[in-house]
Amino acid sequence: MNEEVYKIEGVSFSYGKLFALKDISFSICQGESVGILGANGTGKSTLLKMLNGLVFPTHGSIKFLGTEVSEDALRGDFLRCFRERVGFVFPEPDVQLFCPTVFDELAFGPLQLELPREEVKKRVESLLEMLGIAALRDRAPYTLSSGEKKKVAIASVLSINPDVLLLDEPTNGLDPRTQVWLFEILQRLKELKKTFVMSTHDLSLVEDFAERVIVIDEAHTIAADGPATKVLSDKDLLLRANIIHEHTHRHGNITHIHSHGPFSTHDEHE
Amino acid sequence: MAQVTLPDWFKEARVEPCLTGSKVKPPNFIEKNLNNIASFMREVVSLEEYAAKSGVLQSLDTRARITGMLAIVAACSITSRFAMLAGVFVILFLMMLISGVSFMALARRVLPSFVFTLALAFPVFFNFMTPGTDALKFFDTPVKVSITYEGLSTGLFFMMRVTSMVSLVALLLLTTRQADFFKGLRTLPVPPLFVTALFMTFRYIFILLKIAEDSTLARKSRTIARTKLSESQNWFASRITLILKKSMNMAEEVNMAMASRGFAGRIKTFDNGRMRGRDYLWLGFSSFVLFLSFGL
Repeated sequence: MNEEVYKIEGVSFSYGKLFALKDISFSICQGESVGILGANGTGKSTLLKMLNGLVFPTHGSIKFLGTEVSEDALRGDFLRCFRERVGFVFPEPDVQLFCPTVFDELAFGPLQLELPREEVKKRVESLLEMLGIAALRDRAPYTLSSGEKKKVAIASVLSINPDVLLLDEPTNGLDPRTQVWLFEILQRLKELKKTFVMSTHDLSLVEDFAERVIVIDEAHTIAADGPATKVLSDKDLLLRANIIHEHTHRHGNITHIHSHGPFSTHDEHE
Repeated sequence: MAQVTLPDWFKEARVEPCLTGSKVKPPNFIEKNLNNIASFMREVVSLEEYAAKSGVLQSLDTRARITGMLAIVAACSITSRFAMLAGVFVILFLMMLISGVSFMALARRVLPSFVFTLALAFPVFFNFMTPGTDALKFFDTPVKVSITYEGLSTGLFFMMRVTSMVSLVALLLLTTRQADFFKGLRTLPVPPLFVTALFMTFRYIFILLKIAEDSTLARKSRTIARTKLSESQNWFASRITLILKKSMNMAEEVNMAMASRGFAGRIKTFDNGRMRGRDYLWLGFSSFVLFLSFGL
């Protein structure tokens, strides 16, 4: 069994009286690829922010490599260890791109972690080449297309070389070519035994990429946690959690009712 | 999933023809604002066109370019002589030529401030603000109204000073990529947090403007009857509130994104490269202009 990276115990989070998450418990081991599935507003993004120490549980605890991720801990020596090991790709790249150029954007993280200047330059140049975005080097991030922004946002996190990657809706708004690009990059990183936690609505990405799936239902609790193949084959569970839906349409005189996602077949005539 | 039932009114076909040929109404308050915002955005994005040219100013190190220009701006604010300001205009014109910036591009950016300054300075031309020898008399009774030589001198000097300073800054911004401008500022003795805040304001204002533009277009696409000015203004005010809320949310998210990548209250950045001979030459020249302003 690989080392336990995260241990989440009885975690709840509320905005006033509104719960975003209720009594969540699970663990994540090194090298695991975990897909977090859930309908809109079930608390997936909040969970990822908590895993990145950006917001903190109102109840329960989150431990990273045995140390509790708390505001106090992140004011001390633990901050550097945590920030260089955990990277977070935000769903909206505009939020994440705040430097004057793409080069500066990639250099931001390593510079804050006080890596030697030469090492930072080397990392940034090699990442620009690796991700095929060298032509964007001196461009201002706001002049980029959505796909390019996403690539730069991912690169800006990879430049820290984190062991754990938290990805919030990574394929959101991406064209098919960029989605394939992203998938290939993630596959290469997976070979390096990095840990992934990915919140998404993209079932095909989860099916292809994650070995384990956690489903958060509309009651903000964990509805399922298990191997991806098992969870994604449970149609009733996915329907209950509002992750897939049934859809009616007609071909001539025949009416079909069928679900979308992994159960998209035309054999459910009515 | 339950089957969707469409209400009857949804199924009614529209049979009446579309009317055409009526008098075209002028754009309303919202549309005018929208157009102004959109044109401003386009203009700012197109600023890089001149910065990408291989002119003399563009070839200078950003730190030297900013410092030199600010020295000449300071000279304009210090001097009390027409000759000095005239000299600055000559320098400005030459710099514009050797940097490949068109006169019209510069004039378009300076014109709004010129008009504003003229409006401010206008009363100064008259005898009731600046008494003196009449240059142009309008009438004597019931009160004397005239333009005086002293008023002309004071007003024109004020306008020349402001216009020269605005033109210098406009030329600096036209010949400097925004990214380089902020990087240049960072290497000058300006607090890094201030430069970052300034850059972020600039960076995110466009996103917020885009939200405002989209919001206005969404309203326009559903507006058929002409709305009253007061209604439009109320709606505009409500959108400003919405944008303010969005900007606060965005500020929070950006702060999280920075914290996530190791920011802990103090920005660390790369130093710029070394300056070359031509940069020092330009700094020497601009310092000389500043020096002259004390005596001239």
